[in-house]
Amino acid sequence: MADFHVRSDSVDVEQIMGQIRTRIREKRGADYTEAELQHLASVKLERFLDSRGVRSTLVEAFRKTRVASPEPASYEFTDETLFESPRPWLRKVRRWLAPILRLFINPDRLSAALRVQKEVNADFHRRFRAREEMDPLYYEVVHNLVLEITRLGIDVQNLKMRVESLSSRLDFDERRGRSLEGLVERRGSESPRPPDPGPRGPDGARYGSGPRVTEAQSHGAPAGPVAASPAPLGGGLAPQEARPDDPRDRRRRRRRRRRRPGQNLASMPGGPQGAVSGAHSTGDGRSQTGDAAPTSDDGDGGDDGPEGNGGGPEDTHQ
Amino acid sequence: MKLAVVVQRYGADINGGAELHARYIAEHLARHAEVEVLTTCARDYITWKNEWPPGEERINGVRVRRFAVAKPRDPRDFGHRSQIVFDHPHSVADELAWLESEGPTSPDLVRHVARTEAEVDFFVFFSYRYYHSWHGIRAVPGKAVLVPTAERDPAAGVSIFGPVLRGARALMFNSFEERALIEGVSGRTGPGVVVGVGSEIPDQPQPARFRRKFDVKRPFAIYVGRIDENKGCRELFDYFGRYAAMNPRGLDLVLVGSKVLEVPSHPRIRYVGFLPDEDKFDAIAASDTLIMPSRYESLSMVALEAWALGRPVLANGHCDVLRGQVTRGNGGLYYESFEEFAEALYALEGAGPIGGPFGRNGREFFRQHYAWPVIERKYLDMFDRLSREPAAGPIDKIPGWMARRKRDRPPAAAVVGAVKAGPVVH
Repeated sequence: MADFHVRSDSVDVEQIMGQIRTRIREKRGADYTEAELQHLASVKLERFLDSRGVRSTLVEAFRKTRVASPEPASYEFTDETLFESPRPWLRKVRRWLAPILRLFINPDRLSAALRVQKEVNADFHRRFRAREEMDPLYYEVVHNLVLEITRLGIDVQNLKMRVESLSSRLDFDERRGRSLEGLVERRGSESPRPPDPGPRGPDGARYGSGPRVTEAQSHGAPAGPVAASPAPLGGGLAPQEARPDDPRDRRRRRRRRRRRPGQNLASMPGGPQGAVSGAHSTGDGRSQTGDAAPTSDDGDGGDDGPEGNGGGPEDTHQ
Repeated sequence: MKLAVVVQRYGADINGGAELHARYIAEHLARHAEVEVLTTCARDYITWKNEWPPGEERINGVRVRRFAVAKPRDPRDFGHRSQIVFDHPHSVADELAWLESEGPTSPDLVRHVARTEAEVDFFVFFSYRYYHSWHGIRAVPGKAVLVPTAERDPAAGVSIFGPVLRGARALMFNSFEERALIEGVSGRTGPGVVVGVGSEIPDQPQPARFRRKFDVKRPFAIYVGRIDENKGCRELFDYFGRYAAMNPRGLDLVLVGSKVLEVPSHPRIRYVGFLPDEDKFDAIAASDTLIMPSRYESLSMVALEAWALGRPVLANGHCDVLRGQVTRGNGGLYYESFEEFAEALYALEGAGPIGGPFGRNGREFFRQHYAWPVIERKYLDMFDRLSREPAAGPIDKIPGWMARRKRDRPPAAAVVGAVKAGPVVH
């Protein structure tokens, strides 16, 4: 609710009403004024409501069908009506002959029936009019419903977008949190045993500073695959053969550096068919697929790597 | 000076706006002149059925003379004729038949008015739209002072009222908006003054007494009047229900008056029934604000009473008169939608910053314009002026037999619709 700023007793109705209206506009949002909502309700319903079954032309159609029924033909009917005539002499003659007519038929019954019919007509018309008077009410109801549905449709759309935005931000925050937690854990565990710089190359500061290198080494894992590994990864180069100044090793590192994040060997031109990035041998000799790109250096997914489980040489360097 | 107040119904227990207005005016003018009330035997304004005996009686010291209603109203016939006159092109004959159907048809009353013209200085007619005023003013145009109590409804556009509104010696309006409406539909330029009516406000209302008596503990807004859809009560219930859902700690709603519409069962809506004046004023004094949800008012006496007691008013902004009064008096707020209703009601809570100042403004507005000495003085000044000025010409005649049957009159609703609407703010 609004807070009103009144400096003294001299309050002004229009000024406060202005504040109230401003507050209402702020609440509703500046994007949609009443007029815009009306416009949206009458034209662009499908865009917001998809196929919910509300036609955008509903209100228009309803308005078009509103026509006032004409007055029914009105006539007065009395016992004398049957003998009426614009010509006075004819009227007189008919009256004189009326007793003779009554010998053949009973015109009173006819008059009575027509009188009843007149009342029935009037009653029917009254009811019909009452029905017609309700029509504007229905129109209002339908109109308001359409307006509210439109408003709700817009709100739902906005809320969906907000939920998506919040969801992606939450996802990002979760991953970031997990990665930071992993970093804290690894730092804690590497402090008693400084990393062995042995297997690092000349650019070991760059590669070797990654947590997997230190962790794998700190756990005593060899820089290469575990003994049970059936086949070395990364083009079949045995890790124990890799030496810092080995030109083959340098060449291999350069090749790896050219890989883009998320790209595996199999997807690289000339890469070994069937080889999978992040795949590493487990202790039981089965191949396991990691779901993180090994080159990722932002921590995302890197924590899914084979920490302490005898990761392969590629993992240890990236 | 001898005055006759002519009104459709009259009684100490009749609380219709115009009738109560007439009683207050008669009783107050009786302090300055010899006043007689001429009225019908009807008590019910729907049927005008004769319920009091014809003849004389005294009510609060004022002599009242009653005349029988010749023919009670048939609501169906009246509804049908109203539809013809309000919504379709029609003839003067249709309008006269409509007036006859509306009633209260009391030819005896009109005959008495015509017969006593010489004995009475001024006839003060109340409510322009009824049989007694139309025929009465035509009978004594030179001595007719009319209190039209006109609302912005289609009846104001019925063409037979034009000559009568123009022909009365003076008009005592309830509001500037009413004056604008009457002058707009009739083209009247003669004497007239915006008067309104006062109220019998107690000096020391007892809000605590009302709270004790009806076990009302929470702060509340109040509605006083007939609980009727025509008075905007259905919309009020709808709006208040939504307001209550939004503001669990906001105001409650207390309803005072006779019940035509069912009051919804809601923990924060309290109906206390029709109350005597003492309790009514206690209730208003105990409230934080008075709500006036009606769209059609010529003057809201209860709003004036609330102001007299220093309470702000929340009025329906669709009613020109109420909106104009609220704006001119700076004594409350108005609303035209639910959002405005909720915000304004929140703003007018007693604990808020503006309820108090609005109440004080309202009290001052009432004191300046609606205190009884002010009202009485306006009437007496007008009588004095009319006594000095010559009467205008005779009232326009009713068209002849053939002309009366020509369907050349526009729908009355369209006539009223063409007159400029909106509050008159000075």
